[in-house]
Amino acid sequence: MTEIEIDLQGIDAKDMNKFALLNKEREKIIHDSSLDAIHTEFNTNVIAQKLHPKEQWVKVSEIILETEDTKSFVLVPDTESGTKELAYFKAGQYISVEVKIDGGVYHRPYTLSCSPKQAFDNKYKITIKKVPNGIVSNYFFDLVQVGDTFSISAPVGEFTYERLRDANHILAIAGGSGITPIMSITEAIYDDIIDATISILYGTKTVQDILFKKRLDELASKSKKIKIEYILSEEKNESFMHGLITKDLMDTYLEEENSFFLCGPVPMYSYMNEILKEYNIAKKYIRHDLFRSDINNLRQERYSLTVLTHEKSIEIPCYGDETLLSTMEKNGILAPSKCYVGECGFCKSKLISGKVKTFDGDMRLKDKNYNYIHPCTAYPESDIVLKLPK
Amino acid sequence: MDNNNYDVIVIGAGNAGLIAALELVKSDKKVLLLEKNNTPGGFATSFKRGRFEFDVSLHHLCEYGTEEHFGELYKLFEKLGIIDKFHLISLPVAYHVYSVEGKTEYKMPFGVSEFIEQMEEYVPGSRTSMKKFFIIAKEVREAFLYIEKNKGEVKEEYLKEEFINFMKVATFSLDKVLDSIKMPKKAQEILTSYWFYLGSPASTLSFIDFASSLYAYISFGAQVPSKRSYEISLVLAEEIEKLGGTIKYFSTVEEILFKDKKIAGVKLVDGPIYTAPHIISSVSPTFLYGKLLPEPVVPKEAIKLTNSRVLGARGFSIYLGLNQSAEDLGLTEYSYMIYHSLDSDKEFQNMSSIKNDSSVAVVLNNILPNCSPKGTTMMRFTSLFFGDAFSKNVTEKSYFEMKEKIAENILTCFEETTGISITPYIEEIEISSPVTFARYSGHPDGVIFGYKGTGLDNKLPRLLRMEEENYIPNLRTCGGFDVLLSGFSSTYLSGDLAAKFTLKDIKEMEEVEEEELHDRNRD
Repeated sequence: MTEIEIDLQGIDAKDMNKFALLNKEREKIIHDSSLDAIHTEFNTNVIAQKLHPKEQWVKVSEIILETEDTKSFVLVPDTESGTKELAYFKAGQYISVEVKIDGGVYHRPYTLSCSPKQAFDNKYKITIKKVPNGIVSNYFFDLVQVGDTFSISAPVGEFTYERLRDANHILAIAGGSGITPIMSITEAIYDDIIDATISILYGTKTVQDILFKKRLDELASKSKKIKIEYILSEEKNESFMHGLITKDLMDTYLEEENSFFLCGPVPMYSYMNEILKEYNIAKKYIRHDLFRSDINNLRQERYSLTVLTHEKSIEIPCYGDETLLSTMEKNGILAPSKCYVGECGFCKSKLISGKVKTFDGDMRLKDKNYNYIHPCTAYPESDIVLKLPK
Repeated sequence: MDNNNYDVIVIGAGNAGLIAALELVKSDKKVLLLEKNNTPGGFATSFKRGRFEFDVSLHHLCEYGTEEHFGELYKLFEKLGIIDKFHLISLPVAYHVYSVEGKTEYKMPFGVSEFIEQMEEYVPGSRTSMKKFFIIAKEVREAFLYIEKNKGEVKEEYLKEEFINFMKVATFSLDKVLDSIKMPKKAQEILTSYWFYLGSPASTLSFIDFASSLYAYISFGAQVPSKRSYEISLVLAEEIEKLGGTIKYFSTVEEILFKDKKIAGVKLVDGPIYTAPHIISSVSPTFLYGKLLPEPVVPKEAIKLTNSRVLGARGFSIYLGLNQSAEDLGLTEYSYMIYHSLDSDKEFQNMSSIKNDSSVAVVLNNILPNCSPKGTTMMRFTSLFFGDAFSKNVTEKSYFEMKEKIAENILTCFEETTGISITPYIEEIEISSPVTFARYSGHPDGVIFGYKGTGLDNKLPRLLRMEEENYIPNLRTCGGFDVLLSGFSSTYLSGDLAAKFTLKDIKEMEEVEEEELHDRNRD
């Protein structure tokens, strides 16, 4: 097969004999090597484990009544269940909390509302507002007590400040309980974890609805980097601005370069998007927290949902106006989920048969081709057979 | 149906595990493929940020080629019947390398004669040595194929007869052989730029490993799939399930189980037990022998071998979604290699420091214009850290800041070297460090290239001793830490090799059982 024997200076036919020795030489290296236990502890893996634990067990150590319908829960490691310390996080991230209620298993994303610094003292804070008919939020508000324990995920989420991407000044627009990630980001600025300045335009219905007012005022008075303005939509009060957040108001807080950080109810996003259009700014300067796109014309029809797992197949009723994930949760089927709005891809499952209504912008190209869906944002339009990843 | 007993359990649904599992289901074996993440592919996956879908790791597929002139990977995919299930696009240029110190750049084409001629233009007088290089390189690749086909059991006389150049250079380092064919230093530097993908510099890299890889790359060209490398991963996973194989995600193996000193199955961290008399593992031997196997069954030689090996490159990647088109930004190439020095040994030293800011940048839009929305560009930067450069510096508290700083250095170096401004246009950014890779793959220290293939741990000695070094009967290994070294085509082919070994093991076990049955009947 050799086409030409190449003339190699300093290498000759004798060197072919080295080939025969390869096996023996390698054998010798192995033979002479150490018999100590194989080194399996690596700093990089230890840090990976600390930053991204598969789950964390926490105990409620304190409950703070923030407003009439909102409470904060301080969480500390539940050492009895094996969690010794809490993972560090980036301001703006959330954790997914697992809750068991009346035979159902639920996962809900809750933003960490404290400074990332708190994680080093092994404390997280989540702030939960009671929503009408919200199974989990009402459970938290009404029933959770100091000492209760939960399994939560590692901190995740993309609503974070990125120095290499974002402007030096954040113009934060918060609506109602949407202040929670902004609160964490503001604390992080105060603690010099984030190198940026922030102006917060915080809209609520009434004075009573303002969350963290005392702390926000305190931070704004102590740090030149932080400004806060409250805007009340339903209450007239001399000390506060009244109405909706307007472009004129935003103009007064603009700096040379601005990143708009938006967090609030869905109508606020559509309202703000109209205003932001007038600024004609690049998409990169507008960041949204997780939100659920509305899907219109859902019908309350009843269908059957068959869930396939490795071990079994379960058939339950499902409804056209309820997501497949929500149906599985209520029936106590442990399906994976994290963000609950179709962004993170953690709940990805295969649609074996049937039709769903969903928005597919968040699916990967090839997943779409092979009928994968995100059950957290998929509404049935026929009988469904769904295969879970495990 | 019995859901807990299988013929073979495959651990890890990365490239190697997927191929191995598919081959086995095609041979009518009952297969369980276990994957710790929620999606197949390992590093061959993608993720979405905003309006961009990024490929996590693929630079290009080697050993594929075209219908007319195809490589080993093409043959494998054809055998598996998946050729038509995804769409591949060819790279136009082999590589475009920049030297920061030398303030020079070189652009090398595909095709052996084109490559040689371009080199002659850059380095007059290099032609003869380049021709010699490619003659030897072609022969080296063929010799390797012969050795792989014979599963490492080869006749030396036959090798000497058929592959005399291969035999002469087989034990030498890259720089030594290039010197021996009198290749000018400058041509050596341009040629060896490709060392990045093999993870060792010219003085320690085995000539034959480099030569066979580069030969396949330059002669077959290289491709990427149109829907990211995840496309291939998902096609493989779908085929496995279609043919009756089982894939279980969110499934981390805690322990490999034995019964009467024989492989019996696995136990997952969350409790379930699955049984099988054969296992294929793509876990690094560091964790396989160090953690997954019960201590008493691990032979001394396996411990010694593992202790003698050195972990290869740790990965660092930056993924950027840019809000301008590649054209408007002035990004014209698919790939930019930005090195401080074209002397690979010096560059290796740079990459052994936390200050390393060299990288290989890939602009997918330049071969796949519609991979991101109109008026946008996707970029990925990959850098390598050697030794404990990253590991010893990282802490939980400084982590986010540290990786942001490294990313900033890499981006600045790219911008200053190419004169192309990109940071003002970042709409989405994701940074993956060795910590990210360690978490996702589970590999030690965030290694992405397996063990370093240097000294007597390069591909040839690994191949020659692969049967002897398979220490535990009916347990086969594959993946980036295995005999064929790391990389996309290597890991796919390594899955193929592992499946062949397991099929052989199954056959042998059946024969033994038949004999025992026969003996018993006689009694």
